Amino acid sequence: MKKDDKPIVFVVDDDPSVREALDSLIRSIKLNVLTFSSAAEFLSFKRPDVPGCLVLDVRLPELNGLDFQHELAKSNVVLPIVFISAHGDIRMSVRAIKAGAIDFLAKPFCHQDLIDAIHAGIDQDRARRQTETILLEIKDRFALLTARERQVMLEVVRGRLNKQIAAKFKISELTVKVHRAHLMHKMKAQTLVDLVRMADDLHAQADVGIGHWHGARPNWNFARL
Amino acid sequence: MVSQELRVSTAWVLAFVAIAIATAIFIADTITELDIACPVFYTAVVLIAAQFCGKRGIVFVGLACIALTLLSDLLTIDVAPSQAGVINTCISLAAIAATTCLAVKIEMEKEATFEARSQLAHVARMTTLEGMTANIAHEVNQPLTAVLINGNACLHWLGAEPPDLNEARKNITNIVRDANRASKIVVQVRDLTKGQPPVSERLRLNEIILATTVLIDREIRQNQILIQTQLSDDVPPISGDRVQLQQVLLNLFLNSIEALRLAAVGSRHLVIVSTKSSSNNVLISVRDTGKGISSRNLNCLFDPFYTTKSGGLGIGLTISRSIVESHGGRIWATPNSPCGAVFHFTLPIDAGVDRSVKNQLSAGKFFA
Repeated sequence: MKKDDKPIVFVVDDDPSVREALDSLIRSIKLNVLTFSSAAEFLSFKRPDVPGCLVLDVRLPELNGLDFQHELAKSNVVLPIVFISAHGDIRMSVRAIKAGAIDFLAKPFCHQDLIDAIHAGIDQDRARRQTETILLEIKDRFALLTARERQVMLEVVRGRLNKQIAAKFKISELTVKVHRAHLMHKMKAQTLVDLVRMADDLHAQADVGIGHWHGARPNWNFARL
Repeated sequence: MVSQELRVSTAWVLAFVAIAIATAIFIADTITELDIACPVFYTAVVLIAAQFCGKRGIVFVGLACIALTLLSDLLTIDVAPSQAGVINTCISLAAIAATTCLAVKIEMEKEATFEARSQLAHVARMTTLEGMTANIAHEVNQPLTAVLINGNACLHWLGAEPPDLNEARKNITNIVRDANRASKIVVQVRDLTKGQPPVSERLRLNEIILATTVLIDREIRQNQILIQTQLSDDVPPISGDRVQLQQVLLNLFLNSIEALRLAAVGSRHLVIVSTKSSSNNVLISVRDTGKGISSRNLNCLFDPFYTTKSGGLGIGLTISRSIVESHGGRIWATPNSPCGAVFHFTLPIDAGVDRSVKNQLSAGKFFA
């Protein structure tokens, strides 16, 4: 992951005075900023692969900001959103926050609140990108395991002893230890706990049951992973 | 103004009548020979159905009548059908089909009219006092927000090492521009509250009241309000500005609707009364059984920026008052029993005509 990704703040507001003012404010706190006058303009812009945050007016001409939030979620755009609104009302702000917005500020708002929200958004996006990168690495490593190594890994993270694993697959305990050593090395896991955490992350991504809480027969879909 | 309940029961009565007539025609048709073109009378059934059915309903009734015609033809065949009989049947079927088509067309025209009306109402709403005040608040809010942000940005630029004077200058320029934009809006509002001189014409007040109730039809239905008009026939024509008076009525109606939304469904009543209150005044009252107004607030209702609405600007009633007073009338509010409020306003019957001119005319009878 590139450490020196400079984050960008995206501003979508149809009022030109507010847009210009936000542009100046955000640059004055040493952040890059891009402004758009409509949702369509923003969506058609190819966003660079850097951490970011979206400052969005709730009432845009062609699209309600909350619907836009929904649309973005549907098209897997995961930018954190700070809503600004000339017509603040509680119902709308609650909906926005429940749908995952960082904050909802009614105009005229305190500039520091906006700055804090932007920073929070960028931090959130940075953290998400980091997690994603790590997960991708784990997936790549898992793909390198052989079928037998995967089977053994599954049993290992369910807490089975080498003896039990050997009996289950009708191989010798030595073979099990060899597989175990190989898979630990390929997965770059230092300890069993690391391995279990990686398995959990993969499980969460692949959306299938690992079942090591219930002892049920696991059903990893290797093709999907 | 027919309330929802009355409309529904009328529909049932008409449906019953239509079925009764259709049954009678069917029996008559079956009993008599094909030569007698009884089925033509089914057109009456279609026309009755058109009063309360939608397009689909009318088509269904039309097809049903055609089916009944053919059915009674089948049942009537005890002798070979004569040529006249067959032709008569075809004529009847053509008549039913033609009536159905026309009825459907009429229904489509009705729908188009309704659509046009509600679009007009929407446009009217945008120019109402409510629409305008909400717009004004928004219009002032935007430049104000921009001024705040520019000001703070400017401070940041000036606090940088070294201070960025170019950026700071841009901020200040924008502040001046946006503050000017906001002040233009303030000027507009001030003009509004002063009240423009009325464009005077002869008006039928009851017509204007009814026309204004059409504009709020959607809000009435959506909020399940029972609306009643008691418009007296002895209300004479008055002189005044139609648009301004409609603004006042719309303002009072919308305020009432807002207050009625807080009342229980079923007890949301809005009554509009017009009478001749004295020899030279007409009185209009808008009564609602809504939230009501405390006696403390009755006095400051018409003050500028007094509002109980969370998004309201509070100049609707102020503007209404200035319009009524510039017509030479008076506007006030009283509590309604058992709950709610009544807004009254009077308009002089010879409003809008310059008094001095009128006095001259009446005194100067020698002008014959």
